[in-house]
Amino acid sequence: MLRFAPSELTDAELMLQAQVRDFLAAELPRGSFAPGLGMAAGRDQAFSRALATRGWLGMALPRRFGGAERSVVDRFIVVEELLRWGAPVRHHWVADRQTGPLILRYGSGALCERFLPAICRGEVSFSIGMSEPEAGSDLAAVQTRATRAAGGWRISGTKLWTGGAHENDWFVVLCRTSDEEDRHEGLSQLIVDLHAPGITVRPIAYLDGSEFFNEVVLDDVFVSDELVLGDVGAGWAQNTSELALERAGPERWLSTYLVVEEYLREHRGGDERAHAALGEAVAGWWGIRMLSLSVARLLDAGQAPAAESALVKELGTRFEQDVLDAVWRLVPDDPDPAAESLFERLLAAAILGAPSFTIRGGTNEILRSVAARAMRV
Amino acid sequence: MTFAQALAVLRERGPDRAAESALLGQWLLAYAGLDAEAAEVTVAPGRAVERVALRDGQVSGIAHRVPWAREAAVIALLIDGRTVVVDRAAVMIQPHENIAGDARDTVVFDAVPARSGPGVDPDELFMRGALTRIALMAGSLDRVYEIAVRHASERRQFGRTIGSFQAVQQHLVTIAQQAALAGVAADAAARCPRGFEIAAGKLLANRAALSAGRAAHQVLGARGTTREHPLGLLTRRLWAWRSEYGDEHCWSTRLGAAVARGGADCLYPAITGGSAVVSVQ
Repeated sequence: MLRFAPSELTDAELMLQAQVRDFLAAELPRGSFAPGLGMAAGRDQAFSRALATRGWLGMALPRRFGGAERSVVDRFIVVEELLRWGAPVRHHWVADRQTGPLILRYGSGALCERFLPAICRGEVSFSIGMSEPEAGSDLAAVQTRATRAAGGWRISGTKLWTGGAHENDWFVVLCRTSDEEDRHEGLSQLIVDLHAPGITVRPIAYLDGSEFFNEVVLDDVFVSDELVLGDVGAGWAQNTSELALERAGPERWLSTYLVVEEYLREHRGGDERAHAALGEAVAGWWGIRMLSLSVARLLDAGQAPAAESALVKELGTRFEQDVLDAVWRLVPDDPDPAAESLFERLLAAAILGAPSFTIRGGTNEILRSVAARAMRV
Repeated sequence: MTFAQALAVLRERGPDRAAESALLGQWLLAYAGLDAEAAEVTVAPGRAVERVALRDGQVSGIAHRVPWAREAAVIALLIDGRTVVVDRAAVMIQPHENIAGDARDTVVFDAVPARSGPGVDPDELFMRGALTRIALMAGSLDRVYEIAVRHASERRQFGRTIGSFQAVQQHLVTIAQQAALAGVAADAAARCPRGFEIAAGKLLANRAALSAGRAAHQVLGARGTTREHPLGLLTRRLWAWRSEYGDEHCWSTRLGAAVARGGADCLYPAITGGSAVVSVQ
């Protein structure tokens, strides 16, 4: 049975929420920056460092590694406010959400010392090195291979859809380190310097012409033994737990939030049709947020809610698209991507971004299978 | 029965006259200062009345869709700001059923002697009514989920359980999601029974009734469409409750108008804070 327990924010958590809102209103007032859509927002390392100063990066990491030893729910509160504000989160996004917790869980003490304090200070940035041309949803099919070398490994292969590889420092590469009968065995995670000799980063133009995603070719890149994350051969289990960190968070249901807020700002009240769309959207966010929050509570309780996370991500990403569709129908013309109106620009960006909502971080079809397994059918 | 107990009964056991009476009828009588004598009190939903009037202590008019009026001890309704109560024995009842086969009777008042007292705001009654339906719907959706999962794991076709087919699993995921949404909505609305939570909760429950009901019937196949299968009573009631005390249009426009009044800067605070931030009128 799936577990979605009712949950409210405590007074301390509400205080944190108020602090984040005050911080954003003061440091990043509306009109002073170009807000983005959820995870696809802008990149601003100075802003990431300002968050770090507040203790809002690496929040759940231990103090000895520069973290704040706060809860998953506290991070949830900070992240939802940043995303709904359209704040420039891209510099720290992957490191804060998944690489930090992943290194803490599986990395050696030396690896933790090397990366976690820097993540908490907003200094280093990470990309994700999972997908390949022949390994999309079927990640066990990765062909990137690392072979033993003196003091480390030499790694060759091609990674695909590596977001931010052109601007980030490192990426965690899922690769084959041995051939085993079960293809889920013999995989490992290596932390690779994106500026190392042998790395070639080629942009992939997305639907809207932006070049955030890349193809990363690794040609005999040397990776020292210290940069092996966790155990050699344990990459599949580690990668699976990394994926769990990618799901069910507010980024899976807030990607189109700002389109609605800007609609309201520019069109004021609107008519009954607009009210109906607005009411549906608000009710959806209210409900999905409670489900998403309850998953964060399960994580804080030490549970591994893989199925619940998959359910929420599947629901949330479809909802993001439905909300967008509802707002889109309220305006007569197709939006001009270069319009003066921020609403119109965000609407255009969201329409072109929407197909990726239900693909990135695990397609909805895969997520439904993950969830169904937990229902024991 | 306390407020929380009555809502829990509706959610766990389904339609229950005593619980509904406690939440709606006896609540109206208590507010009016009228003695309910622990009797079962049914309430005429405010929007389905014709020419009802209170004159010289006598009620005239017609009320439609009154739940189990034929079995209630007394019938309560709001007329012009007053709660009016009549004995069932004094009225004429035309039995009617909703699509679930549950009694939704027409009550004819022909200058019937009535007791009356101060009435609640009719909208407050409407919201409380919606709250009872949210609880009923959340509970029923949990049972729909259980039935669908059990069937999918037992029924074999093509040599395998049908739950092993991805196409069937997708339906189960829809039911699980919608039951979970209605569940957290019912929890939140019970904890904070105010305008925002009730509006959003009924909207989510209504949507869940439709999509989970459809998905569950698809999983159960022809078997689920028979009169004897338990799924059918659950879905028929879900569909009936979808319309009672506010359909999607009613609640989405009210909720949307309220957040539009609050303005763009209050939109996200409304999503996280609900009625503490925005007042749904």
